[in-house]
Amino acid sequence: MKQNDHTIFKISWRNIWRNRLRSSIIILAVTIGIFGGLVSTGIMKGMVMGLINNSLENQTSHIQIHNKQFVENNEVGFLMNKTDKLLSKISKEPAVKSVCERTKTFGMASTASKSAGIMVNGIDPVREKTVTGIWKKIVKGGGTYFESNKRNRIVISEKLAKKLKARIKSKIVITFQDYDGNLTGASFKVEGIYRTQNSMFDKQNVFVRKTDLDKLLNMPSHSAHEIAIVLKNYKQTGAEVERIKRLTPDYLVQGWPEIDPYLQVSASMVDFMLYIFMLIILIALGFAIVNTMLMVILERTKELGMIMAIGMNKFKVFKMIFYETTLLGIIGALVGIVISAAFTLYFGRYGIDISIVGKGFEAMGYGTVMKPYLELTDYFQVLIMVIITGLIASVFPTIRALKMKPVEAIRD
Amino acid sequence: MKVIEIKDLYKSYHDTEVEVKAVNGINLIFEEGEFSAIVGPSGSGKTTLLNVIGGLDAPSSGSVIIDGTDISTLSSRQMIDFRLHNIGFVFQAYNLIPVLTAKENAEFIMQLQKKSRAERDARIAELFAAIGIQGKENIRPNRLSGGQQQRVAVARALASKPKFILADEPTANLDSKSTANLLDIMRKLNEDENITFIFSTHDQRVIDRAKRVILLDDGKVTKDTKTK
Ligand SMILES: Nc1ncnc2c1ncn2[C@@H]1O[C@H](COP(=O)(O)OP(=O)(O)OP(=O)(O)O)[C@@H](O)[C@H]1O
Ligand SMILES: [Mg+2]
Repeated sequence: MKQNDHTIFKISWRNIWRNRLRSSIIILAVTIGIFGGLVSTGIMKGMVMGLINNSLENQTSHIQIHNKQFVENNEVGFLMNKTDKLLSKISKEPAVKSVCERTKTFGMASTASKSAGIMVNGIDPVREKTVTGIWKKIVKGGGTYFESNKRNRIVISEKLAKKLKARIKSKIVITFQDYDGNLTGASFKVEGIYRTQNSMFDKQNVFVRKTDLDKLLNMPSHSAHEIAIVLKNYKQTGAEVERIKRLTPDYLVQGWPEIDPYLQVSASMVDFMLYIFMLIILIALGFAIVNTMLMVILERTKELGMIMAIGMNKFKVFKMIFYETTLLGIIGALVGIVISAAFTLYFGRYGIDISIVGKGFEAMGYGTVMKPYLELTDYFQVLIMVIITGLIASVFPTIRALKMKPVEAIRD
Repeated sequence: MKVIEIKDLYKSYHDTEVEVKAVNGINLIFEEGEFSAIVGPSGSGKTTLLNVIGGLDAPSSGSVIIDGTDISTLSSRQMIDFRLHNIGFVFQAYNLIPVLTAKENAEFIMQLQKKSRAERDARIAELFAAIGIQGKENIRPNRLSGGQQQRVAVARALASKPKFILADEPTANLDSKSTANLLDIMRKLNEDENITFIFSTHDQRVIDRAKRVILLDDGKVTKDTKTK
């Protein structure tokens, strides 16, 4: 800062503390407003990030590959061939952390008393564990995740278990159409019961060994319906999709935003919400600040007249008012940001239990423990918005100040 | 050397139904180093004249030429800058910025002029010694007496060595002791630094200390005497 500016800044800063009560009230209002805006955005963002992470971890992964027709119509026949070669090529990609393949088919699961439509996922448990986290989601006393090497084992969700009245070691009969279009079925023994935070997903998905399912479906060897890939960094999704497309031009390669557009939309919605929230809060605060500053200008008519008379130009008068206005906002914003950051860090770590009110959330795939989440850029954006508000809010008081004629201001 | 030349100066106000001719045809010349009092009854136009000379108010007609510059040719922006670099002001009251200390107030103009810290410090020390404010440099105006405040204002006006200083009733709010003291200081600085002072006053004791007395009545100069 030039020494010139330094003096003006010093005046502005000290002017704030001339009326401590009034300034404190404005600063407190800004603090509360910023805290409210940031924390509510943080909570929403945390929920959405939780949803996205859950989905990426348990369902979509970062990239999936399918036969184009399979995506439109999940028929057993629309499969991908020579997947063994493809998998090894993909594994060699530097950005790829892990990859797995699945056989998938719709089917009907029945026990003695009940039946339900399901998606049967034929997986290779060893590879699958490196891609999805379902194996970590086995409920207490809910058996194991393909630890037994016996044939025809199945892992189902707690939800489905309840519906089918099935337990560990229960027999479930699964019927489906095989590769040749014949209706076929087999009996599976429940080995594990899992629960993710997305009950919609849970209701539908059961897991069996790919080798078991392939045999039943009569699948050609080295074929699969789905390849799922996890990257070392999810931010590389877009670039890696392009690279894998070149490896396998015939099949449909999709990144998670394309597989589940809702996730992507939710993420950008929350960022947008921050703007909207902050905009509304800052407009309200802006009015309060403008009002305060107009009062200030009125009180200091003579002083301002004198300053302009002795040679302070209009731009410097504006700067003086701008600094004071913006400092009011920035002090409040910084306090608000510090409190919000503390809140977000603490509850982001330990979570807020919303299970009492959270029944509906769980069905939508959100967790029952709320973990607010904010990024450094969110705080910066808020600070910049506060400064812009200060800039806009200083315009009216400055106009008022500059309208005064020094002669009239000075006259008794 | 001519510092200010005032030619056929008129200033009237039309605020009310009747036109008030606050300055009604004044011609004056102020030379460098003058110590002049503008004297006259209330409403005679002293403040108006000083404001027009200082470029705070525009004349209705006529011109004010300062060091060769007709100030009516300056834009309002240029005028502010011109005031900053050429004219020192001392007002009757509200001279100081309440949130700045005595020293910060005194160096305020020099700071606006972007003078270096060393230059400012030296000048303010010199002036504070002259006005007898040593030891109170870091005190804010509300803890200075009225006389001390006016002395700081004089120091500020003088600090940047302007072409001249305009002071509108600088002693109006002061007791007689402070008045005498301020006048002594102004007169001393006028003599030591050859700075031109033009001030208005009602006060006979102030008039007695002036080197030139200009009597105003109804916006006209009725008497102009050089005493010393
Ligand atoms: N802004 C204004 N609008 C209207 N009339 C004004 C204005 N300023 C001054 N006047 C009038 O102009 C005349 C001269 O006023 P001015 O203030 O210059 O007198 P003065 O000699 O300084 O008086 P005082 O000794 O009371 O300070 C007065 O009649 C006053 O009422
Ligand atoms: Mg007057």
